Amino acid sequence: MSPGYHPYHPLVKRLLDGELSLAELPPELRPEGEQALRLIGAVDRTPVLLSAALDARVMDTVRRHAASPARRAWRWFTAPRVVELRVRVRPWTVWAGALAAAAAVVVLINRAPVSPVPASVSGGPARAGSRDSVYVRFVLYAPGAKRVALAGTFNQWDQNAAPLVPAGTSGVWTTTLPVPVGQHQYAFVVDGKRWVADPAAPAVDDGFGRRNSVVAVTARGVRTL
Amino acid sequence: MPAPDATPSILCIYGGERLGVGVRDEATDGEVVRAVLAGNVERYAVLVGRYRDRYARYAARMLGSRDAAEDAVQDALVRAFDHLAECRDPDKFAGWLFLILRNRCFAERRRRTREGRSLELADEAFAAPDRPDGNVEQAESARALEQALGHLTPQQRDVFVLKHVEGLLYEEIAQLTGATVASLKMRMHRAYDRLRELLKEHL
Repeated sequence: MSPGYHPYHPLVKRLLDGELSLAELPPELRPEGEQALRLIGAVDRTPVLLSAALDARVMDTVRRHAASPARRAWRWFTAPRVVELRVRVRPWTVWAGALAAAAAVVVLINRAPVSPVPASVSGGPARAGSRDSVYVRFVLYAPGAKRVALAGTFNQWDQNAAPLVPAGTSGVWTTTLPVPVGQHQYAFVVDGKRWVADPAAPAVDDGFGRRNSVVAVTARGVRTL
Repeated sequence: MPAPDATPSILCIYGGERLGVGVRDEATDGEVVRAVLAGNVERYAVLVGRYRDRYARYAARMLGSRDAAEDAVQDALVRAFDHLAECRDPDKFAGWLFLILRNRCFAERRRRTREGRSLELADEAFAAPDRPDGNVEQAESARALEQALGHLTPQQRDVFVLKHVEGLLYEEIAQLTGATVASLKMRMHRAYDRLRELLKEHL
């Protein structure tokens, strides 16, 4: 700070913030307040219009990117999509399917638990689900949270798709769900509003000011990057 | 304090509900985003038309130059297209695009700082706007303030532009950027003191 530096009085700063009017300032502060308002009042709010050619330049670039095989492959990998399945079944197949599912659940329950890799993310090949999915256990320590959910590329970032369950009153929240083989980004959503990266998994900047955790799911289990 | 111009503020379109001028299309941002993700690349022109100018003033005040703002907005729109599948809430595309642009502006400021280029030299023409009302004194004050803004930190300049140029409340800036109101006020109050020091010759 220079020797002649004089910060504004806190009340003058509140005036500039719009929290006080000039008349609400003590008389001795009003000259300083008027001066400060003149300073801020000089701000230029003229709209800025960009050149008409901008639209064409952007669209030319995105068309080129859309046609790039590598970018197409990446978008196919990351884009959420709705898959509609239509199945014609006979009644006896429903009962057979239910029995098969019950048997699969028994097999799953009897499996020895896999060791966590890392502490909050662990998994093994799915027995009941598709061969392309692996059951992954996600854990977050969030004492005081009222609800915690898991959102990621595997559930189209749906905050309601994968709620975590509290383990007693320990503050630990967990869920286990089938995750397709591949690399995924995810985050926990605490109390429906706060996005929290998994502290035990590597994270990447999503380019937009937030951090997403990353997990690689292979047919043999979960791998950190 | 004078009210901002009638130009739609950044927050007005944060929810993605209100449509801007430019390309007329009744579809919501979310519907357009989903159409683009489904393979209809040409629909992206709707979003480009809606937001090309909406954030231009913010970018220009952040970077001190209309040309730099145009580059930043173009980059942000292309980057948003490339990462569209990662947009968590397509109905809030506008806010998401704004964060991309904001990061782009911060990165540009950091790059210029590394290269030793000062902000106020970027575009003299922009830093000396002619007032339509022909008020020379007011134009000189605006020019001096614009130059002084170039000496603020990017974070201070960011909150100053959002509050005093775009006319947002602290609560709205917090909603838009994810920062707390307390930290925004701290940055702003430091910016006031810094501006007072920088502009003491003009006061």
